[in-house]
Amino acid sequence: MSNKNKLLRTSNFSESQDLNNIPKSKFKFAQKGKKLHDKAFETKPMSYLHDSWNRFAKNKASIVAGIIILFIGLFAVIEPLVDPRSYVDPIQYPSGFEDSSFALVRPYSPLFKDSGWWDGKEEKTIGEDDYNLLRFTDSNYERVELVEEVDDTFTIGVTEFHTLKYKVNVDSYAVGCKYVTVSAEDYNALVQYEKDNGIYKTEDSIMKPVVNSAEYIEEVGDELILKGLNISTVDGITDQMTNYYNNHQDVYYKLFPKLIDGQYSDTKFSAVLDSNDEPVPIYKTTDTGELVYETDKSGEFKIRVDYFDYFTYVNGFKPYYVFGANQSGQDIYLRLAEGARFSLLLGIGVSLINFIIGLIWGAVSGYYGGNTDLIMERITDIIGNVPTIIIMTIAQIQFTHSTTLEASLGSSGVLILAILLAFVYNGWIGVASTTRMQFYRFKGQEYVLASRTLGARDGRLIFKHILPNAAGTLITSSVLMVPGVIFAESSLSYLGIIDFSSSGISSIGVLLNEGQAASLSQNPHVLLFPALVISLLMISFNLLGNGLRDAFNTTLKGSE
Amino acid sequence: MQDTKETLKYILQRLILMVFTFIIIFVICFILIRLLPLDQATGAGQDPETFYKMQVALGRMYKVGVGEYAKTPVMSQLWTFLKNLFNPATYTATDGTIVTTSRWGYSWKISWLASPADLLTKGFPPTILINLYSMILSIPLGLIAGIYMALKKNKWQDHTMSVIVMLFISVPSFVYAFLLQYLFAFELGWLPAIRADFNGSWFSGEMFASMVLPVLAMSFGSIAGFARYTRAELTEVLTSDFMLLARTKGLSRTQATVRHAFRNSLVPIFPMILGQILALLSGSVIIESIFAVNGVGSLFLNSITMKDYDVFQFVGMFYILIGLVGTLIVDVSYGLVDPRIRMGGRK
Repeated sequence: MSNKNKLLRTSNFSESQDLNNIPKSKFKFAQKGKKLHDKAFETKPMSYLHDSWNRFAKNKASIVAGIIILFIGLFAVIEPLVDPRSYVDPIQYPSGFEDSSFALVRPYSPLFKDSGWWDGKEEKTIGEDDYNLLRFTDSNYERVELVEEVDDTFTIGVTEFHTLKYKVNVDSYAVGCKYVTVSAEDYNALVQYEKDNGIYKTEDSIMKPVVNSAEYIEEVGDELILKGLNISTVDGITDQMTNYYNNHQDVYYKLFPKLIDGQYSDTKFSAVLDSNDEPVPIYKTTDTGELVYETDKSGEFKIRVDYFDYFTYVNGFKPYYVFGANQSGQDIYLRLAEGARFSLLLGIGVSLINFIIGLIWGAVSGYYGGNTDLIMERITDIIGNVPTIIIMTIAQIQFTHSTTLEASLGSSGVLILAILLAFVYNGWIGVASTTRMQFYRFKGQEYVLASRTLGARDGRLIFKHILPNAAGTLITSSVLMVPGVIFAESSLSYLGIIDFSSSGISSIGVLLNEGQAASLSQNPHVLLFPALVISLLMISFNLLGNGLRDAFNTTLKGSE
Repeated sequence: MQDTKETLKYILQRLILMVFTFIIIFVICFILIRLLPLDQATGAGQDPETFYKMQVALGRMYKVGVGEYAKTPVMSQLWTFLKNLFNPATYTATDGTIVTTSRWGYSWKISWLASPADLLTKGFPPTILINLYSMILSIPLGLIAGIYMALKKNKWQDHTMSVIVMLFISVPSFVYAFLLQYLFAFELGWLPAIRADFNGSWFSGEMFASMVLPVLAMSFGSIAGFARYTRAELTEVLTSDFMLLARTKGLSRTQATVRHAFRNSLVPIFPMILGQILALLSGSVIIESIFAVNGVGSLFLNSITMKDYDVFQFVGMFYILIGLVGTLIVDVSYGLVDPRIRMGGRK
């Protein structure tokens, strides 16, 4: 009884009743008179692309990769536009900016100028003559900085030889003084500029006193004859000395042939030092003892200038190279931007063309199947088995020999046509086979059958029903094609199979080729930056492609 | 028995198809290459008289007048070429002896009047050695790395190694080549920067040392490739139903993995390895060029840059043949290794 009471108390029933016999009157239809409809979805509908985008956005690595690609793309487009080097006088620089005086200079960034690296300096261990050559300069910049003196020991047989070597930091931008020939007009402008800035004929002047080496070399010749050398030897030495002064225009002081094994050398010269260990200048002077700053050469002036400052004066910007310079003094930074621009454009362009051709080919082959498919597959088999390298070679030789093509497209146009042909020739096969597979997958499905039964034509089935489903896979495969094309192009131009030399185009592969030619052991910076950029591009494109593949793969939904 | 018969029939079919494909490709390439402008031999020791005499003998040119020659039409060149395959043409040398010409033409630039076949054979030893070393290094390492990653799936080991694998797959092989060359040859000076000939012996210690860098440069990419592939296969196998069954019937995890998972995951990897074995013969052009290996790849590159068309054609066709046979072997071995794959397209 107490149990029942408890039950009654806890239940909502107000009175006790027999649940087995509930009277009919107590029942009523739950939804009587109401209209029953399907409920509207409370969740928002999501399109395939939206869904894919959401999943793509979750993939941090792909986003970063996309940003890097964007960044490189922006760099490639903007850098040539803003760099003053791309606007230099085309008459002075017919093949774009280059200055052989700054050939192979080290990378320099103003942000890192005191940090010990990326400061345009190069650490070297050099002998005394080379050290003196760099140490004694009348230019406005210190060319060399001594780190330490090294005792270089080597043994021949049992004898030990000691030579004093100098471990130094060479500032590769301080190229010293050089002779340049300018018109009278330019000369006057330069003089005016110096006067305006108060540096005319001072220590910091751009124009430096002219060196009178000819007179001095005669003195040396007389001295050597006095030392008992015969005339022809002396003539040989003085000729070489003249050459030496011409090749080392920074040398403003007395040199004397080096005494090697009791013989005066005609190739090695060392500085003549006074009692203070300073070189003895041999500037040209007027009869009144004033320094001469120019030689008049039939209306033109030959002047000796501090080349760094002179360059800055002429071009309006300092000759600093962020990524260093290559062997002909071109700016690697600028060329890399141009190269990346060409490589990216080529990669995207080729992928786009391949995508379109492959799509049509694969769609036809996959949709119709049967004998059509068989024949088309044979054709792709034949085309696909001829390596790009062969087509590239043949196309390039054939096109560059064709005078009609050359006349209508120009030498760079012909080359680009050959490259396009070689990459398009069998590049589309990948897209075609992907498309074909997708068509095989979807064409037998019920919704396609339903549409066909309703009278849809082939075109509608292909473009409306099958292609949208295959879009994800196809987009992924064409994004992944871009790095493939860039890689192939850079390998082929690195190897010299694509010969850009006459066209003036720079691609990353061309820069790699220059890097190889500049000797990896001596000048690694020429190769380093192009290699870095291409690696970065490859990694980013692969990451982006992988991210896209995962994003478009709807079967992965929920399992991540 | 029925199966063997069908397999053989399938292989034969594919073989015939391959031969036809090859012939068509050959004809196309032949025509394209013969249409290229021909340079007269001008190098040292290359007399134009012999050049023209041999061109006439090979059916590529005919005499128009005294010392004047014109090209024969390409199709007739093709016909002569095919005839020469079975019955090589002859010509009379300056000293009066009758010389049989080479079936494959001659190298006019790389090495005057050498047969392209001989040049190719000379290129084999370094290429095969470097590829072989690279294979010996990369297959086990790649498999081990892949297996380790699959076993540690979604743990930090897997994630770090996946990143490394991704990097190695993406970065072009010439970039490693430069890095290795700079680091080990120029900065540290441990190994020679380029492969040099050491008294012609292929197996001396110095020769081996000089091959280390190219082998490493070639291996990184394929190690990463094998690792990624093995990982994908093994993770798939590890999650399959028969692994669950193996565990249920009482095998420990190690037993189940070693006895069932490994062997099954190797099924698709084995054909890949077979494909690599054939590729031993064809050298990587870029790696051989960087490390100055005088192998097949370098020969191909030289024939292109020096416009030595006969060698270019011969080596090019060799690469195409390797490609075709490689695909055939991979396809057929897939069917042989995995009984689930039916060959001959029976559905």
